[in-house]
Parts: sequence; C-alpha cells; structure tokens
Amino acid sequence: MVQVIRNFFIALRQIAIGDTKYYAWILFLSFLVALGGSAYIGQLNKGLIITAMRDQVSWGFYISNFTFLVGVAAAAVLLVIPAYLYNFKPIKEIVLFGELLAISAITMCILFIMVDMGQPLRVWHILPIIGAMNFPASLLAWDVVVLNGYLAINTVIAFYVLYRLSIGKEYKMSVIGPLIILSIPWAVSIHTVTAFLYNGLSARPFWNASILAPRFLASAFCSGPAIMLILFQIIRKLSEVEIENKAIFKIAELIAYAMGINLFLLGAEVFKEFYSGSIHSEPIKYLYFGLHGHNNLVPWTWFATVLNLSAFFLFLFPKTRENFITLNMACIFVIIGVYIEKGMGLIIPGFIPDTLGEIYEYTPTMQEIVIAVGIWAVGALVYTFMLKLAIPVYTGRLRFFSRAQMVTARDIMSRRIASVLPDTSIDELARLLVSRHLPDAAVVDQNNKLIGTVSETAIISREVCRSTGKKASDIMSPPDAAITEDMKIQELGGILADRRVDRLFVLNKDNQPIGSVSGSDILKAIEEINRE
Amino acid sequence: MEHDNRKSRGLNRRKFLSGAALGLAGLALPLDRADASFWEAFFQKHFREMSDAEIGKVISRLEKECEKTYKKAITIGNEKALPGVLFGYGLDLSRCIGCRRCVYGCVDENNQSIDPQIHWITVLRFRKGEKWVDLENSEKYYNPDKVPQEDYFYMPVQCQQCENPPCVKVCPTQATWKDPDGIVVIDYNWCIGCRYCMAACPYGARRFNWAAPNRPAEKINPKTHYLGNRPRFKGVVEKCTFCIQRTRVGRYPACVEACPVGARKFGNLLDPDSEIRYAIKHKRVFRLKEDLNTNPKFYYFFAYGK
Repeated sequence: MVQVIRNFFIALRQIAIGDTKYYAWILFLSFLVALGGSAYIGQLNKGLIITAMRDQVSWGFYISNFTFLVGVAAAAVLLVIPAYLYNFKPIKEIVLFGELLAISAITMCILFIMVDMGQPLRVWHILPIIGAMNFPASLLAWDVVVLNGYLAINTVIAFYVLYRLSIGKEYKMSVIGPLIILSIPWAVSIHTVTAFLYNGLSARPFWNASILAPRFLASAFCSGPAIMLILFQIIRKLSEVEIENKAIFKIAELIAYAMGINLFLLGAEVFKEFYSGSIHSEPIKYLYFGLHGHNNLVPWTWFATVLNLSAFFLFLFPKTRENFITLNMACIFVIIGVYIEKGMGLIIPGFIPDTLGEIYEYTPTMQEIVIAVGIWAVGALVYTFMLKLAIPVYTGRLRFFSRAQMVTARDIMSRRIASVLPDTSIDELARLLVSRHLPDAAVVDQNNKLIGTVSETAIISREVCRSTGKKASDIMSPPDAAITEDMKIQELGGILADRRVDRLFVLNKDNQPIGSVSGSDILKAIEEINRE
Repeated sequence: MEHDNRKSRGLNRRKFLSGAALGLAGLALPLDRADASFWEAFFQKHFREMSDAEIGKVISRLEKECEKTYKKAITIGNEKALPGVLFGYGLDLSRCIGCRRCVYGCVDENNQSIDPQIHWITVLRFRKGEKWVDLENSEKYYNPDKVPQEDYFYMPVQCQQCENPPCVKVCPTQATWKDPDGIVVIDYNWCIGCRYCMAACPYGARRFNWAAPNRPAEKINPKTHYLGNRPRFKGVVEKCTFCIQRTRVGRYPACVEACPVGARKFGNLLDPDSEIRYAIKHKRVFRLKEDLNTNPKFYYFFAYGK
C-alpha cells in the first residue's frame, strides 16, 4: 500500500515537473481544452442546434473525427505485428509509443461520441445489465464493446510493460503474450465494426458497399503510422530515446503498401459508382463533382485525392521515403488526405442527398470546430502525460520503488533472540542457548540496551580452557557489529560480508536488540521477492 | 503484498471513476433542476422493464413536470396495443392536392416544436411525367399561392411503420421498438440522442430535437400518450406514431381527419372488412423503397378510374 502511494507520487511528480517548454506546451493544450470545454457547456445548454447538423445531415464533424481516430487507434497493430510476431527489433523498441498513441486515440473517439450525443447523461443506457444494450443487433453496441475492449487491452499491455521496466525487470511474455496476440485481431475489429456501423445501413447507398471495411482498414494503415512517424521523430529529438532510422523506414515502406491498396480499393469503388451510374451514385457525384450546384465538398475531395496520390509515390520510392524531408512531406500529405477522405468525405455524402432526395449542405460551425479542437487537445494532453512518464522509465532514468527497495531488516529478521544481563553466569547462559537452540545471546544493561554479544563458540572456548564461575560480561565481544531495524535489505548483505559474520543483532532506535538477521534470512527474502 | 496492491489500485480507480462521473454530472446539471425528480428521471428504468405501478409513478412525475412547465394539466396515457390489431395506412396519390393540412393537423395534435420547427409529415412535390421514384427530383419547400398546381403531383411521407424497421435494429439502447399493433414507438426518457436511427431510416421519418422543443402552452394538446405526443425533450428523437393516443382508443389519426380530399385511409390490416384492406385488394398499391425489404405498413395507391 505504502509502495503504491509512493509510486503514485513519483509518477505524479514526474508528470508535474518539467522545463519551461513542457509547461508552455501543457498550458497551450489546457487553454484549448478549456476553450472546447466552454463551447461544450454552451452545447449542453442550448442543444446540438449550435452545430450545423440537422435532420437531413444528422451526423457531421464529430462523427467524422471519430471515424478518422478509430483508424489511428487501429494502426497500432501495424507496429505490434512486426514487433512481437516477427521480433523485428528496431520496431519492438518503439511499439510501446504506438500503443500509447492508440490509448490517446480511443480516448478521443469516446469523447467525440459523447459530445455527439443529445442526452450524454443517459450514456449508461447503452451498457449491458444496468442499461439495455441492444446487442448483437445494433452495430453501435458492438462498437461500444470493441472500442472499450481495445482501450483496456492496450492500457494493460502498455502499463504492464512500463511497470516492469520501472522496477528494473523485463516484462514476461507469458503474461502479456496472449493479450498482444488478441490485440491484433481486435485492432482489425474496431475498424471493421466501425465500418459496418455505416456499411449496414441500406438506407444510405453511399455507405452500403461491401468495400467499405477493407477501405477503412487500408486508409487507417496509412494515416495512423504516418502520425506515429512524425511523433517518433519528435520523441527522438526531445528525449534520449533512440529510435533507429531502420524502424522509421520500415514503417514508411508499410505505409506505401497500405496506400497502394487504399488507392486501388477507392478506384474500384469510383469505377463501380460512375460506370453503373444508377441513382445510388448521386452521393459520390456530390463528393467529386457537386450536385445541382451544391459543391461544398468538391475542392476538399480533390485536394485529398492529390495529397494521397503524391504521398503514395513519395512512400513508394526508397529514395524519397528514406529522405526525411520528403518522408515528412509524405506523412503530412497522408494525414491530411486521409483525414478528409475518411472524415467528412465519408460521413457527409452518406447524407447528401438525404433519403427523400433533399440536398442540405453541411459545413461545421465555429462551436463544433472549437469543441473538436478541445478534444484533440485532450488527446494530445493524454499522450504528452503518458510520454512524460514513459520515456524516463523507458530510458532507465526513472525507477519506481519496488519491494526489494522497501524491505528492511525489521521485515526479514528473526524475532527469536536471547538477551541476558552482564552478570548472568556462563553456566546459565549455556543452558539458555542450548534449550532455545540459539547460536548466540545479546548482553544488555538494565535498560535493555545492547552492550555486547556472546556466541556459542566464545562459551565453548571459555568452558574448555578455564574453570567456571565467570559471568557473561567477562567473555562478551563489544557490539560493533549490530544493525538497525530500518536498514534496507541491500545494505544488510554488505554489512554481513564486510564483518565476516553470518548473524547480526537488529537494534531499534533505543539500541535495544529486537531480532537478528542471518545470511540465510537475506537469501530467503531475495528469493521470495524474485519469485513474485 | 502484490495482491494488496491490486486491490487498492482497483479501489482507487473505482473511486476516481465515480468521482469523475459525479463531477461530469454536476457539470451537465442545470442548477434549477438539481432536485429529487432529476435523479428519479436519471435512474428511470427501461419502459418495457417497468411494472405497471412503476410506469404509473413515472407518468405522474412527468405529468407534474409538464404542469409546471406549461401551467396547465396534461394527461399522459399508457394505452396498450389492442389485441388483434395491426394498423395500416393508405394514401391515395391521385387525390392529394399538396395542401399540407395533414402536416399542420399533425403538429397541433402531436405537440411538435414550433421553433425550431418540427414536422412529422413531409409533403414532396413532383413534376408530372418525370422520373418521379427518384426522390431527388422532388421539392419539399414548394410554396405557391394555390394548390394543387397544374403539372405537379404530391406525395406525403411520414413514418412508414415498417414491419422490419431498420431504426429499431440499429438503436443501441432499445429505446425504440415495434409494439404488437405494428406502431414503432420511442421512449423519450430512454433515447440517448445518438441519431443512429435517423441514419438508418430510409424514409427520412425521424426528427431530432436539436434544441429544447418550444411550443406555447395554449397550443399544447393536453391529451397525450407516453409513447406518443407527450412533450419531448432536447436531444431526443421523435416521429409519427399513427397518433397512438387516438388510434388505440378507436379514433382516426389527426392527419386522416385533416385531409380535405379524403386521400388518407387508415385501418386494421387484420380486419378483412377494413377500408385499408379494401384499398390493398382493389387498387394498385405500392410501398416506398420496397427493394430495401423494410416491409412498410404504409401503402400508396392511385384511385382514379376506380
């Protein structure tokens, strides 16, 4: 318990104390969070009317951001597979930062869903048992399960690894191995379920295409890792964490493949929609060319298309993906490109034209944007705090208090000792030691303070060489070799070794003997700690 | 030791979570409503899991709240579906003149918000002879001096009360369901306002309270039903219920009564002698978006030529 509280404060201090740059960054993010929070309070009071959403376009910017971020969260798997399954060492060293990114992304996803709800206080209605979760019929119920499960899995993995590192130990694959294996299909599932959420609606032909889930995954494996590449470079620059170029280039290569698949799938969809040209192609016409003079999304769509295509080629050629200038350009292109394509570019055309053929053009209001920025700032804040703690643990500069450091002489000592007054006769002393099976006795004064020790061997040699009639004080050795009760286990071993003795008395503050520690007591304790 | 750690960590987290939840609740809580009835409403159970006594208690609480808001007595009924009844609706497109009297009749009966404006019925106008199943060619905001206009015909659309309703399937909290008489209803006290049902509805029938509904007290119809026209809240979904408060006690829906040309037919699909069954049997009927397999109980037909 003490240990937990102590470690909590160590973690808190690590997060709370930083340099000016760190405080400036936290202050900046907190400002954005506060701004978003106050806009959200306005939304709570007035209702979602402050957004540009209406009955025709009933989901907008919030759900667009949610969809994009599910992809970012799912992309952690792109690091997990090479790291744990193929044991690719350069990536294994950084997979933790990917998992932390997944945690922040899911946090943002949940917040985006919360701010989109008309009755956020009723959120518990969606839970099983206490609520009335419509499982398995509703894909939104599935999404609640898989998103929270993914959050839990990644939190357990990341914090278990950090905890082991923080007490100076390797993590055990026997503990997290199964979770890591589980996290791979789970990452695929969060994105598949989110795609199915839209995909399953026959009312919305734009979403009702079976290519949607594969497209979701492919684009997620572009944007998520691209964000990680940028973050890794920042982490590498600002801290002592070493991230090999090899790892970065490998991820860039994987993005190239994902982007290739993404563009292919997109092309397949565009072909089908435009070539068949049924009335169900109206949404994609709206997206690319506008419909009846309504073309809010058109410039964005083409902007995203150009970005994604250029990023694809930049990632494809080793020359450009292994040059940090072109690599970072490609990353930024792909992040913005997918953000548009998978965000507004996916959600809004689902509603335009609406099911009765009306075209309502949607552009988010300032309040919507401010609330969204606030949520992004929360995500950045969560990631920053986690990194602030994880990086020093990771580099070995921060170590938590562990049991081994906490164990004192008092915890491991044997309380069975014999104390005698100085005028005790040797006969009596010998009888005492024999009857209690003790190798030695402490000689104490009237106040029970240690003044010397008498060992078996000392008595034996006196017994044999001289006649009886002597007292304990005559044969005792001075108490130079004594230890205090609050000495740490590490020190004890050293003292025993230095003094070349195998048993020492433990004294309390008043110099009174309260127990003894032997070499085998220490060994036993160490063994016990290691077994945990 | 290890074991103790885990226990205390769990405790901390639980405490933290409940603290955070309370904090959030406090944030969202308008101060003037922070009274006992707020918490009663907060912990209200799912409608179909409550006993009749519990429903009675909820209804009397809601009636009191309504009276406080509108300064007049409002009754909230809970009439159950009648056995042997499956409601069906018929709409004669050859008679409809696009006057929108049904729309306003519905608003007055069902207490829709005036500002922001909510209509449960949408009347679409099509140019005669054009590809009219393509709803995109319709006009919802037509506003001529006089109807019917030459060259146009009209098609009112409202909740089609599907036998296979996509909105019910997707609702994550089971806040909307199909009652035994075929009416798809919503518990406004259980809806979380996620609007997934609105994305799923192929008929654009569902309406969301983007702001607090606003209707002057003198215009409130005091005779209401829990699952129907009782006053709604900000942030929940609503829609046509075939006037559940009327039809379950043997009356016609308000839109049927409001129609000046008799284009609207209503009745029991299980009764072979009903008007709706007659129309289905003798007219060429069709239903909207049949290809989606939603199986609506709302039939459109053309009656001229008899």
